Amino acid sequence: MNSIKIIAATGCPTGIAHTFMAAEALKIAAEKLGVEIKVETHGQVGIENALTKEDIREADGVIIAADKDVNIERFLGKPLLDVSVAKGIKDAEHLIQSIIDGKATPYKASKKAVSQANEEFEGSAGSKIGRAIYKHLMNGVSHMLPFVVGGGVLIAISFLFGIYSADPDHEQYNAFAAMLKEIGGIGFSLMVPVLAAYIGDSIAKRPGLVTGFIGGSIAFAGGAGFLGGILAGFLGGYVIVLLGILFSKLPRSLEGLKAIFLFPVFGILITGIIMTLCVEPMSAVNEGMMSFLGNFKDSSPIILGLIVGSMCAFDMGGPVNKAAYVTGTALLAQGDLYFMAGVSAACITPPLVTAFATVLFKKEFNESERNAGIANFILGSTHITEGAIPFAAKQPLVVIPILMVASSISAIMTYMFKVQVPAPHGGFLVLPVVTGAMQWVLSILVGSIIGGVAYGLYKKRTNQKQSAMTNETITS
Amino acid sequence: MNSILHANHICLHNHSTTQSEVFQKIAEMAVANNIATSIEEVIKGLENREKESTTGFMDGFAIPHTKSKAIKKPGIVIISLANGVEWNSLDGLPTKFVISLLIPEDEGGTTHLTLLSSVSRMLMHNDIRQNLLQAKDEDSILHELNQVI
Repeated sequence: MNSIKIIAATGCPTGIAHTFMAAEALKIAAEKLGVEIKVETHGQVGIENALTKEDIREADGVIIAADKDVNIERFLGKPLLDVSVAKGIKDAEHLIQSIIDGKATPYKASKKAVSQANEEFEGSAGSKIGRAIYKHLMNGVSHMLPFVVGGGVLIAISFLFGIYSADPDHEQYNAFAAMLKEIGGIGFSLMVPVLAAYIGDSIAKRPGLVTGFIGGSIAFAGGAGFLGGILAGFLGGYVIVLLGILFSKLPRSLEGLKAIFLFPVFGILITGIIMTLCVEPMSAVNEGMMSFLGNFKDSSPIILGLIVGSMCAFDMGGPVNKAAYVTGTALLAQGDLYFMAGVSAACITPPLVTAFATVLFKKEFNESERNAGIANFILGSTHITEGAIPFAAKQPLVVIPILMVASSISAIMTYMFKVQVPAPHGGFLVLPVVTGAMQWVLSILVGSIIGGVAYGLYKKRTNQKQSAMTNETITS
Repeated sequence: MNSILHANHICLHNHSTTQSEVFQKIAEMAVANNIATSIEEVIKGLENREKESTTGFMDGFAIPHTKSKAIKKPGIVIISLANGVEWNSLDGLPTKFVISLLIPEDEGGTTHLTLLSSVSRMLMHNDIRQNLLQAKDEDSILHELNQVI
């Protein structure tokens, strides 16, 4: 009987201990079970003992024990087990035995195949798929974050020169401020495409980056906001996964053509068409929301505040938010200074919610989130709602409702205090011209702090649950 | 004598009962032995790492580690615990033997990182783990570890 050859890759975020412990555990187990193994480690010092093409070709099976990306796409068609690094340390023997017994499913370049293999192995499909989706989202958000912070802060600085300083026809015009706003604006316009691109990249590597980028650009241009961007990222990524399955029948000689020609051309075409159709109704959504809002403009402060708050925080720059904002500026032009006050309060609140949450619940956030939280004090204070997007995009189903409630509280209180805001933008920089400035700030702070506490408590709970869950899967 | 691990870096039969007490002890020893400059920073670093995932693994061993600006030179601090401490470990058993790896932020060279990873590798071997748990004094622990570093 030919001896069985197994290859493995291990990795962990710090890359100092667990990576190597898993590698060693696999080696010990392989020796015990009498199989040959080569383990590639993705540690702090980089990749060591790298697997060659030959290694991969000769291998009978692949074990990935990693909590970071170890370039899984190399192992196309190989029987593969994809588990956490902890599992590699603890269950090395079991993993190797599964490969020997032929229990691993060949890797098909689709997340589905992998999760199926793991489903069998871990018996927890739901959390695995959930984890994969979260991983893709996080990849997009972490790449988007610097665009939001960098662009946002530059725009905020330009407002210090006066909120109309970028308007050449206005007396406040300042060429330097206009340039800052222009540069920051480019950062903002790339935010949604970058989010989509790196969600796609996480799902389907470089071909997914391309489709995600273009899908995201269509979402942005079509006014679909960051929710459109998330959709574009997942769509772009899975279009490539699908094409991968369709193209898998093609002869190997066409492999090169696939990467450079077939994936980009068909991927972009399909993603582009679907996204264009998806953003088509966005202007209708926008108009519909505007006329809906128009019906309520004279209703009680509580109802109006609830609607305005929910709309502004729902998609932060998307069609629903824009509907509220544009209605506000239109009414402002007609001399209604009350309506805009609530819209501004509701737009200022979301970034402040995240800022307060990261300050009040420091321990529940990682360092980049805490830094982004500090920046959000600036972005919130200058009416740059987009600052909250990186936070919302991570757990949209929970964070967006929290932001909607927080913005509603701010808007309701603003309407109850009958605050008047004569400027369409600028946040707290326009305080000198606000009637009822103190009450306005108070309203916003109350909404933001309530939202911040709610968000912080939610983070705390999920963090606890997560550590309990990892424990569970490990000990299962 | 190897500057990464020294008899002074080892504390046997420590009476800590919680993970934070162990971290406090590690940090105090690190500062006392000129490995690090700030107790708080070392504790914070160890806590943050622990938040990502537990460093406790099997048979009562844990390897809390961190990379921090407050750490001036790479070092290993070893604490054996008189009573098992809850560490959320892989096999659920309380931790009795702690090997803490401390790495400077600007550790450019790979030599030390490799040393530290060889300590992690070594701990996967059953016989070495048994020897460490049964070690009576600092010297036998040094002897055991000096085989790899």
